[in-house]
Amino acid sequence: MSPAALRVEKVTVRYGNTVAIEEASLEADRGEIIGLIGADGAGKSSLLHAIAGVGRFQGEILFEGHAYHSPKEAEPLKPHIGLMPQGIGLVLYRNLTVGEHLDFFADIRNLKRNEAFLSYRERLLEMAGLAPFTDRPAGKLSGGMMQKLSLICTLLHRPKLLILDEPTTGVDPLSRLELWEILDNIRREEGTVALISTAYMQEAARMDRIHLFDSGRIIARGTAEALLAGVRNYSYEPVPCPSERCIQTGHYTYALDPIDAPKKEPTLEALFFVHALQEGRRIPPIEVSPRESDEAIPSLVMEARGLTKRFGSFVADDHIDMRLQSGEILGLLGANGAGKTTFIKMLLGLYPIDGGELTLLGRPIRSAEDRRHLKSRIGYVSQHFALYKDMTVRENLLYFAQMHRLPLTRALPRIQRLAEELGFAPYMEALPSELPLGINQRFSLAAAILHEPVVLFLDEPTSGVDAIARSQFWQLLQRLKEVWGIAILITTHYMSEAEYCDRVVLLKQGRKIADDTPQHLMARYPEAKSFEEAFLQLYKEKVI
Amino acid sequence: MNWGVVRAYMRKEILELLRSKMIIIVYILPTFIIILFGYGIRLEVTHARTLIIDHDQSKLSRDLTERFMHSRYFDARLFRGTEQEALHRIKQAKTEILLIIPQGFERRLLHGLRGEIAAFVDGAFPIRGETMSNYVKGEIFHAAQSVAPDLAPRITLDNRNLFNQAMRDEDAIVPGLFGLILLVAPAILSALLIVKEKEEGTIFNFYASPVRKSEFLLAKLTPAFLLHSLNILILFLWATWLFQVPFRGSFTLYWLASELYILISLGIGLLVSIVTRTQIVAIVLTVIITIIPGFLYSGMLMPISSMSGESVIEAHIYPVMYYNHIVYDAFLIGQGLDAPKIRLYLLILTLYAAAILALGSALMKKELR
Amino acid sequence: MNRTFLALVTKEIIAFFRSWGLVAVVLYSFTLDIYIAGKGIEIQAKNVSVGYVDRTAGALSGKILARLHAPEFKTPVRFPSRKALYNAIRNRKIMVGLIFDTDFSREFYRGGPARIDLLLDAITASQSFQALNYLQNIVLDFSRTQVHVKLKIHKLFNQNARTSWFMSLAELLSITTLLGVILTAAVFVREKENGTWDIMLLMPIDPRITILAKSLSQVLILMGGIFLATGLILFGTFDLPINGSLAAFFLLSFFYAFTSAGIGLFVAAVSRSMLQVAQMAILIMMPMIFLSGAWTPIHAMHPLLQKLSLLSPLRYYIEGSESIFFRGTPWGDLWPYFAGVILLGGMLYYYGFRKIGKLF
Repeated sequence: MSPAALRVEKVTVRYGNTVAIEEASLEADRGEIIGLIGADGAGKSSLLHAIAGVGRFQGEILFEGHAYHSPKEAEPLKPHIGLMPQGIGLVLYRNLTVGEHLDFFADIRNLKRNEAFLSYRERLLEMAGLAPFTDRPAGKLSGGMMQKLSLICTLLHRPKLLILDEPTTGVDPLSRLELWEILDNIRREEGTVALISTAYMQEAARMDRIHLFDSGRIIARGTAEALLAGVRNYSYEPVPCPSERCIQTGHYTYALDPIDAPKKEPTLEALFFVHALQEGRRIPPIEVSPRESDEAIPSLVMEARGLTKRFGSFVADDHIDMRLQSGEILGLLGANGAGKTTFIKMLLGLYPIDGGELTLLGRPIRSAEDRRHLKSRIGYVSQHFALYKDMTVRENLLYFAQMHRLPLTRALPRIQRLAEELGFAPYMEALPSELPLGINQRFSLAAAILHEPVVLFLDEPTSGVDAIARSQFWQLLQRLKEVWGIAILITTHYMSEAEYCDRVVLLKQGRKIADDTPQHLMARYPEAKSFEEAFLQLYKEKVI
Repeated sequence: MNWGVVRAYMRKEILELLRSKMIIIVYILPTFIIILFGYGIRLEVTHARTLIIDHDQSKLSRDLTERFMHSRYFDARLFRGTEQEALHRIKQAKTEILLIIPQGFERRLLHGLRGEIAAFVDGAFPIRGETMSNYVKGEIFHAAQSVAPDLAPRITLDNRNLFNQAMRDEDAIVPGLFGLILLVAPAILSALLIVKEKEEGTIFNFYASPVRKSEFLLAKLTPAFLLHSLNILILFLWATWLFQVPFRGSFTLYWLASELYILISLGIGLLVSIVTRTQIVAIVLTVIITIIPGFLYSGMLMPISSMSGESVIEAHIYPVMYYNHIVYDAFLIGQGLDAPKIRLYLLILTLYAAAILALGSALMKKELR
Repeated sequence: MNRTFLALVTKEIIAFFRSWGLVAVVLYSFTLDIYIAGKGIEIQAKNVSVGYVDRTAGALSGKILARLHAPEFKTPVRFPSRKALYNAIRNRKIMVGLIFDTDFSREFYRGGPARIDLLLDAITASQSFQALNYLQNIVLDFSRTQVHVKLKIHKLFNQNARTSWFMSLAELLSITTLLGVILTAAVFVREKENGTWDIMLLMPIDPRITILAKSLSQVLILMGGIFLATGLILFGTFDLPINGSLAAFFLLSFFYAFTSAGIGLFVAAVSRSMLQVAQMAILIMMPMIFLSGAWTPIHAMHPLLQKLSLLSPLRYYIEGSESIFFRGTPWGDLWPYFAGVILLGGMLYYYGFRKIGKLF
């Protein structure tokens, strides 16, 4: 047996005093896809940077018989390496067109413009679906298209070692599928070694071998099947936990000691929960106290009829009808650029409405004046949890309390209570930038519900957050819905999360193509194994 | 060095510069500064607003008043109010000079006694105050001589104003601005070109590709260098055409020195881009480290020969002094390469450029930090 | 209402003190920058380098040369020939060259006029002119020419013509303008950059309150800077006189800070990133400072520019501050400056307020 194409041995990366990744080792063969899974800040990127020869490290990396210990030593290998760093469209120049990008990447790699190159370039463009857009500047592409462009730019020189850092984060399921198709083709044809990190567990199943990252260490490795086998014994149908060494999530209960419940086939997410339990970490169930206010909540919270938004000649939202009831979690799904964020921003009044009627909390919305009275009854969490970075968690919350004119005597105990219930009480004096994403996410939710709104809008609140934090976040939303009886509208790219919703609305190119419960939608496609597959089927069928 | 790679990178740089409107900064900023400062800094005084209180009302006092009224340096008029009122007008900044000719002024002079004139000058703006009092002195001295021509001084100064006969402010200031402009503008551009890629993440294309450091730097600095080279001509035209500054020396010398100086400035920008991560910090840092020395050691407000102590050493550390010496020579003096000092300074600029670019490329690392 | 206003102001001030980069820039600008401007540029001719060629026996010329001394002149340097002296001037080692010809002392003792040839490097025009003046006075004094008119000059407000007084004050006022614009714009643009803009819009607060509170917070920071600079640099280091009322200066500064905040609101309304803020601010500020009379007295400008300068609020602020510090103008006579700052500033602030208000 020939030695592995890539061997990483005891690689450690430090930034100042903090250790990003410690003594990580892995191996990969030609044509293999190696997966790196883990939360934000678990050390995946640092390891990938070290392997790509763009960051300093300790230890040794061997690729095709060439050993390197520093970026400088990796230099001779760079013609064979392709790196796509994390961040949507990060390596693209917004003023350059798609075609100019391909030319630029070909030129800096010194590629000959021969027949073979041109047909390969054509094929990549075709695969990415970018062939009609070669004259469009990168800055005007949607997030999914940007990622596809970045990927084909990385593939242009046929790298033997392909390193992709979360190429699909923030990308919709459809674009994600297309990205994976490109990847699968290439590695089969070229025998490429591919290292890919991802936050989506479903994708991990497509990889040949998986490495699980947790706080700077690789905690588990193997094929998806082998890893699943390791946790199968601990995964049960969701039942309340009888003992300490146990966690209950929306779809599962994980317990180290056998419990009296039917077993359930786990997904890779189970690995994180089981690992956390084995480490002895306690993840207490989330409780929410009832609202203080006894304000009645109307049963129909929001009704949109024919809501339309245009940007120039582009119709972002085209006559959308939607109803949101109290005590309901409504999921708004769709590809990048399908009009989800635009729709939420119309509801919030951040974009003017170009057509249609909107009724919020029983009040027809026609002017800014109509909205003013509603602001104190709406909560909003935006993408990236935008909170004030220069203020501590406590200062942020106090600020929001005062904006909503909560008297201090009521605000202080309420902030304390929320901090304890949502589990960020130990971090009250920290700045948001010092906290993990999962804590920031809960604390921005706290800021949005501090004034006890009757309706909550959430725009992709879970992107990039680790599995455990995501699961807790959803528990929290469920509790809010049940205990407070409020209405929640949420957009997400994680299709597994759509199953937590009471009802989902699917948007495609600005039109509504489905509005039903996830169960009904699943039922339409009996062959689909997951909601994601059902979603993709539906999305492909509905031609606009 | 792979020229195909350099060319491709350069083409991308130029496309980006054109499309991102950064090109406006490249050409607007230098023109903006030269026009603003060229017109803005005026040390010469004309039309100083002058009030004259004539208590004497004699032929001599009227002659003196006439003199002031006809001078282009003063806007003089007789004032009929009291001294207090006139002084109050200076406080209100409505007048700058007050002259008081006492009663019996003419009579005293005719009797061979001394006549005393009091002058009040607004000194709030010190350079102007100083200049105004010198003008007043001169004007009165000449007037006194014309009254008593036999009192000619025993020593005369026969002065020749070299290089700037008319002592025009434009001739003095405008060439001095070159060293400031060509220090600030190319430095900002080169700092931004690299920091922008760092901030946006596109620097990964360089880190992860086989493109060499030398190729990358060449591709980054060449467009900035070529674009700013045009500014050498543009600034020259503004100076000679708009501000009518004479050009007595060698254009080749001026051009050569300017190109070297732009290289130095690009090198400073390169060093800034190595230590900073965000564009805004890069701009602020570049401005702080270039504008002040660009002004102080330009020689336009204060000759280097008048400096003492540590400022002499500082002046010799920054490249501004060497370049400005050559620029002033090219515009006003015209020695050219015949002078050993010019040759020496040109050599210093060459070494400076080579050293700073070498330092920049040595400190720049092809890896994440 | 009062409490939310206070919360908005407090939040901005906390945010300011947490961003150490901004604090450093503000501290630097209000202290070191003003110090450098006041100290560094000395336009008064000092240490003028003198060279001479002496073809006389030396007794008389030596007496004259002995009168060229510090601080105005460096010790004169002797050159062997006119050509060598000329070369030294061309190489800019020497600014003033004196040539005493062989018959100089003879002419002098015969009753004159004895001529000294003077070569003057006129590139630094104003310094050359001053040097010439010094020399003229020395020569006149030396030949004991009796001019019958005695001129008694009182240089009001700044007897010793200290450039540092004027330069440091002018720099403080320019800095106030620049930072007022940038800080205020930054408050809004940072919200755009960090994505908190939407959150801000969704607060149940009258947008006018938000804008007012945010600009007031920056005005307060500016006032802090002005206090610091006045105490530490103007009075503490440069010993500026204060002939008028300090309270009047601070009041005028307060109004002016709102003016520059108004410009900042406008800049914020049209910028998306901090980079654009910096560019816009420079493009707006430069002509404004230029037209204000900070560098060159307004009466020395082109008549058209003089008219235009009436539109620069900074003009009134600078003239007003000069009057308060140096001229000691009483309250009653300060009204044109207050009127100019309040009127123009009010209009600018209102315009910026409306402009950013449209984004809410």
